Amino acid sequence: MSLKMKPIKSPFPQHVVDRWISHVLRFGVWGSAGLMVAGLFVHWLSRTATLPPAENPTPGEILRRLCSTSIDDVTLMYAGLVLLMLTPVLRVLTSVVGFLVERDRRFVAVSLVVLAMLLAEFFFSLRVAA
Amino acid sequence: MLLFFGGIVTGTFGAMLGLGGGVFLVPFLALAFGLPMHQAIATSIVAVIATSSAGAAMNVERQIVNLRLGMLLEIATVCGAIFGGVTANLLSGQTLARIFAVLLLFVSFIMIWRTRRPKTEDGATSQNGTFPSSFKDEATGTVVSYTVRRVPLVMLVSIVAGNISGLLGIGGGIFKVPAMHMISGIPMKAATATSNFMIGVTAAASAFIYFAHGHLNPFIASPAVLGVLGGSFLGISINRKIKGTALTWVFVVVLLLVSIKMFWR
Repeated sequence: MSLKMKPIKSPFPQHVVDRWISHVLRFGVWGSAGLMVAGLFVHWLSRTATLPPAENPTPGEILRRLCSTSIDDVTLMYAGLVLLMLTPVLRVLTSVVGFLVERDRRFVAVSLVVLAMLLAEFFFSLRVAA
Repeated sequence: MLLFFGGIVTGTFGAMLGLGGGVFLVPFLALAFGLPMHQAIATSIVAVIATSSAGAAMNVERQIVNLRLGMLLEIATVCGAIFGGVTANLLSGQTLARIFAVLLLFVSFIMIWRTRRPKTEDGATSQNGTFPSSFKDEATGTVVSYTVRRVPLVMLVSIVAGNISGLLGIGGGIFKVPAMHMISGIPMKAATATSNFMIGVTAAASAFIYFAHGHLNPFIASPAVLGVLGGSFLGISINRKIKGTALTWVFVVVLLLVSIKMFWR
């Protein structure tokens, strides 16, 4: 395998892309932590029994419940967990954009392969579960 | 509450030893809480995403991560993780516990090897490979430049590490970091940061499978993940103050005892 590096011709300094990736990761981690804390807090306030649902809801279902007027503890916790699982996917998506900006076509392709594998597996898993 | 504190303890120990939370969290959930192995692994893999992403956010900003190498190796780790996640869901909990016990033995040996490794290693770096990168070593204030040798070989190790990650709910850095350092000549700091950067994507790949199979209980995963995340920050700050080989040996003994307990679970 020969992967000789070409000098980057982009007008953007490399640390701009690094910063984007960093922001996406921080948003994902702290956003999901916030949702999980909120879920545990609502659960503590409502003092309901600690019973998980019979089967995990789909991400679409979680999103629909989040947009509804009655958000419960389980939905908030699931939303946090799903956001956390999607954070690396968002990071790979950011890498695609970052490498596009840097005009590094070879690594746009590499990032797209990783993204395609993750998305294909994500949707295939959901299909199998359904 | 117990799960949260358990997460803090396992996350702290993991970060202190550079192992990530999974190595301690899975046995803790399986042995102390009697959780089925698949649920323990699912919880651990989500916690691994959290600690990896939080660490990577800092390392990417400081430009210690070799972004391009990380992206290429992710193809290998994701392949391995998908295969591992699918395999895990075909195996019984008992079999997974036994495989985990063997993993703990390996981890103990690697930890013993680490205590014998010289502490200063960034002096001689390879300059005739691919993926050229440099980072500022904050401890010494110097800029370390390096290139990467034998990429295909390290990709093979990444497939195995990804597979173990998906199968057992750990990050897999314990295998990748020594390989990246010894095979490819990457300085330890860059190898650790790049491996940690890849772990989030690797863990996400198998996390979807466990989630789809219904192994993720929000009442267990939420407090455990929050605990491990808090514990990892605590572990890093303790690590800056306490350094000791004796401590490592204590943990090696603990890991060996946990390994025996997991095997006969």
